Parts: sequence; C-alpha cells; structure tokens
Amino acid sequence: MPVRLLLQLSRRNLLRHRRRTFMLLLAISVAVSGVTFMNSLIRGFQHDMREAVVVNMTGDIKVLAPGYRDDPSIENSFVLADGWAPDLPVDLVDGWAARIKVPAVILSERETRGIQLVGVDPASERISFIGSVSYAGEPLASPEDARLLVGKALAEQLQTAVGRRLVIMTQGSDGLNREAGFRIAGIYDADGTGLEKAFVFTGVSALQRLLDAKVVTEVSIRLREEGSSAAEGFSARGRLMDYFTGLDVLRWQELEPQAAAMFAFADSAIFIWFLIMMGALIFGLVNTLITSVMERVREFGMLRALGMRPGSVVVQVVLESTLVMALGVLIGLGIGSLLVGWLADGIDLSAWAEGVELAGMRSLLVPRLLPGDLLLVALMSLVFGVLASLYPAWRAVKVKPLEALRR
Amino acid sequence: MSRNFLILMTVLLPLFAVSAEPLAAGADSQLEAVPTAPPVTARELIAGAIDLTRGRTSYARMSMLVHRPDWERKSSLVAWTRGREDALIRFTEPARDAGNATLKQGNRMWTFTPKLNRTIRLPFSLMSQSWAGSDFSYNDLSRTDKLLKFYDLELIGTDEADGHLIYTIEAVPVDDAPVVWGKEEIVLRDDYVLLSQTFFDQSLIPLKRMETLDIGELGGRVFGVRMRMAKLDEVDHYTEVHYLQADFDLSLGDDLFTLFALKSGATPESLGSAGIE
Repeated sequence: MPVRLLLQLSRRNLLRHRRRTFMLLLAISVAVSGVTFMNSLIRGFQHDMREAVVVNMTGDIKVLAPGYRDDPSIENSFVLADGWAPDLPVDLVDGWAARIKVPAVILSERETRGIQLVGVDPASERISFIGSVSYAGEPLASPEDARLLVGKALAEQLQTAVGRRLVIMTQGSDGLNREAGFRIAGIYDADGTGLEKAFVFTGVSALQRLLDAKVVTEVSIRLREEGSSAAEGFSARGRLMDYFTGLDVLRWQELEPQAAAMFAFADSAIFIWFLIMMGALIFGLVNTLITSVMERVREFGMLRALGMRPGSVVVQVVLESTLVMALGVLIGLGIGSLLVGWLADGIDLSAWAEGVELAGMRSLLVPRLLPGDLLLVALMSLVFGVLASLYPAWRAVKVKPLEALRR
Repeated sequence: MSRNFLILMTVLLPLFAVSAEPLAAGADSQLEAVPTAPPVTARELIAGAIDLTRGRTSYARMSMLVHRPDWERKSSLVAWTRGREDALIRFTEPARDAGNATLKQGNRMWTFTPKLNRTIRLPFSLMSQSWAGSDFSYNDLSRTDKLLKFYDLELIGTDEADGHLIYTIEAVPVDDAPVVWGKEEIVLRDDYVLLSQTFFDQSLIPLKRMETLDIGELGGRVFGVRMRMAKLDEVDHYTEVHYLQADFDLSLGDDLFTLFALKSGATPESLGSAGIE
C-alpha cells in the first residue's frame, strides 16, 4: 500500500480546507488541554489526600498493637526493642517514628478539651506534619522534653499562651488516672484547624514516665514517594509482619479506608473526565470527517475508478483523522502543561477552607502533571481519533465509482 | 473547675473548725505569745488544717443556692464524710433532684440518678465539669492534699480581727504541678477557719473566689457555715452553700461509702451502723 501517497493525499485534503482543519484542531486542543488540566487537578487532590493521611500521623505503614484501633489506649501498646530500625531497603524508607498516642483531657484555667496526646521523638517526626509546621515559641528539643506543642486553634480555645502551664489528664498503664502540669513550648500553626485541635505533642520519654510504661502504641513508617507503589508497600509490610509477630501491621489504605476509597475513586474520575470530554469531541470530529468525505465523493469515485483499493480509501480517511488528532493532541498537551505550569504555585482554596478540609484536602491545591497521565491522554485520544474515523471511512468506501463519476 | 482540697474541706467536710477545747487552749498560749505573731509557717498552717480532718467523720445537712443573672435554684442535700477520702452526698430537695447522689472513694467518683436507676462512674474527662449545675466541679469534690504536695506556700500577711489572727497565704504551684492556676491566695484564721480562697490565672488575674460569709458554730465546732463560690470574670455567677445542721465524729461504717449505699439510698441508720461515739 503506497503509504507515502496516502499521507500526501491526506495532508493535502487537510490543507485544502484550512479553516475547517483549524477549527477541528482548536476543538481537539481545547478538549485535550482541558482533560490535561483537569487530570492534574485531580492528581493534585489525590496527592494531597494521600499526603494528608500519611503525613497526619498515619504514615504509609503502621504497626499497632491488636485492639488499639478499637480502643486506642495505653493498654493496647507494645515494647519496641532499643535501637530497632525497620529492616527495609534504605532507598525505600523515607523515615520512621515510634510514638505513644493516647486520648487525654487538657485543662487550662478556663477551658477543658479532649485531645490526642502524642509522645514523639522530635528528631524522627520530619515524616509527619509536625516536622514542617511553623511555631510560635519553639519546637520540642528531645524525647525527654516534658513540654507541650499545642495547635493554634486549641490554644485559642484554651485561652492560653507559650510558657503557660496546662494540665493533662490521661490513663496510665495500670488503668488509673494520671495528671501532670506541662509548660507550653510552642504553638504550632498546621494546615487546617482540625489537626490543631486534635493533636498535642510532648516528648515520648516524658510521656512514658507519666504513664509508667516503657512502651509505644505505634510505629509509623513513611516510604519514599517513588517506592510507595502498591507492590513495594505490600512487600515492605510483609517484612515488617515477619518481625512484629502478633501485632497489626497495616498500610494506610487499611487504616484510612475512606481516604483510600476516595483515592481509588480519583483514578476513575480521571478516566470519566476523559470520556466525557472526548465523547463530546468525537461527534464533532465524525461530523467534520463525514462532511469532508461527502464533499469528495467524485474524488473517491475517481480514485476507485483508477484502481485504488477500498482498504487504501479507509486508510486515507483514518490517516486524515489521525493527523488532525495527533496535531491537536500535541497542541492540547502543550496548552494544558502551560496552564498547569502557570498555576504551579497552587490554587488558593482557603476561602472554602472548612469544606475543603472535610474533603481531606489542603487549602492550597497544587496541580500535578504526571508523565504517565500525559501518555495515557495522548494514546487514548489517538485511539478515539481512529475510532471516530471508521464511520466516515466506511461511507467513503461505500461510494460507487460509476455513480460518483456521473454526478 | 477548681482543683483544691480546701474547697472540699470547707464545703463538704466542715472539719476545719477545731473543737472547743483546743481552741480555748490555743487562745491561752497565744495570749502569752503576744505582741509578736506566733512563729507559724504557711506550711504548718495548711498541714494543721489538713491534719484536723484525718480520720474524722461528719454528717451535714445543707442548702445550696446556684445563682445566675436570670435564674436561681435552691436545693437541699445531706452529706456524710469520712476522712478526706470518702464522701456520700445526696440531694433531698427539690423533688425533681431528690435522690440524686454522688459517691467518692478516694479519687474515684460515681453518680446515681434514681430516675435512670443507674450508677455512673465518672470518667476523668468529666471531672472538670460542673457538679449538679453549681459553680463547683467534680474535681472540687475530689481533691486531696494537693496544696502540700504541689505548691510553694508562703505566708504573706498576718492580720488581727475579732480576737483572731488572720493569715494570708500565697500558694504558687511548682513547675510541673497538675494545677492550672497561676497562684492561689488563701486567707485562714488561726483556728483554721477558711475565710477566703482566690484562684488566679497564669497572668495573675483573679478568676474565682470562695468566701466565707458567715462563721458559726454547729455540732460543737466553729467553721464557715455560709460560703460562696463566685466566678470573678462573670457578673452574678455564684453558688452558696449554707450549713443547717452538722455532726462530727460519728461512727460511720464502711458500708455507707459503697455503690450499694449509693444506689439504695441507705443512711447510717438504715445500715445499722449509726450512732454518735
């Protein structure tokens, strides 16, 4: 089949109707850039959501005592061997932290609130949000530091300030109440008031002393982003399960099933968006191609009369469609990427902060462009282009040379 | 949301009053020590006040008035105490609240509501909530000798009035004390009658104050028979407790301070362990 000739014919046909081709290109590129942009927003949202879950004290993998999830108290804790470190490839693990997380009541002179009291080693907490927040006052110095880090929103509720003393009441390992006064080291400003109201931090050793138990309630492990694919996550989990026999070793998807479901839904959402946009586009494409074929009935009749095989006619129409599509996709991806680049600093959603927080997002939505997504859009668009050209091509083949020439 | 045993002592354990004999003896010795104030320390004063309650039992009938700007509620209650550890308080009026009761055993507390026929062990998260809608919290009822354990005590003033020496004690919590207050100021008579106790926040603004309005003698003891706990940052918010009757050093059996007694509405009489020694 003389492909070069067919290519030439297709190209000439496209160039013959510059305006029509231009409009077609415009439609395709708008659709593709829209899909690209939308994709990157959804990916940004998805990333945020995962990040929010993983960073907000969950981590990619967490080791818990069985029963802790039903009753998160110091009774459901375990002893972590001194000097333990996860037996996982170094390039897979981003960091890990052993913590005590227990419910507690915090009191100021004026108010009382229920909170999650988290005993941490400040050095290992760069894997969670507390490692990267801004402070009034100062962060915790060491695991021995018996001072508190309190969220800004909570500090406002309690009407307290850095350097003041708060009283913490919680349950010790013997089931009896413990209470102690703690000075506030710093007031942290997290992204969203939900975190600020929920978590109060102190040194893990200091908390162990208060609770009379040299235990932890969780070990949280954060994987490197590139390594945190499902397979890697599973294998890492398996290795940890071998070590922590009798304990629950859970991936974030199991710890936060709701977030995991949202995460999975975002994958489908990308596909759904693509189908909607392309579906609308395809009818335009088909229409244009049919017009172009019908205009050239005589031409096709002539070509057939001169001996062009029906297959070649089909290829010619498909080539036309594919050429336009390929060009449109290139332009569309370019425009889409530019848009994403333009908004690379993120879209400020803080005006809707509360609603946004409910959806598990941060108030700054940063679009994320994944090469895999671009490739997917490009390939699928081409497939759609070919599919769209099949009917017009069939119409072109149906032309009977004799009738066509007589017109 | 106070956190001090003195309130418990003065509101529900009117044991600050010493009996008549030691009071007279004290007066004698003081006469000789005048004109200079006797060399007492703040610690001795507080410890002395606490020692008075050790192992003692009491019975009291009192009324409680909860006052708010737009409403007021008066109720009556009876209370039995033993030492600083055990207490049983039961409402008798109004009819709506009659039978509601609170039991304290050491640090643990339960409440009982006859309408629900349920006893509830108070979780610690509830301990700072208001007790029976008053300006007292459950914590106020459950404190022990915190003042000695967690405060630096200093005698900052000695005064004389009505033939008594009046001591003003400043109590500043130590650094890691489980105390939210910035400081407390306690005014105490030489016979250990509490005259007032003021709670300051950590910027030293007074937040609430307990004051003795009337000192009287009941059951052979002198103590503050009418006391008011007032919130200082809110106008017209206070709770007043008025002692109508009191008896001391009864023999109260172990069975009075039990969940069974709490639920069954038992009294020392019904348990057969009553009687003044």
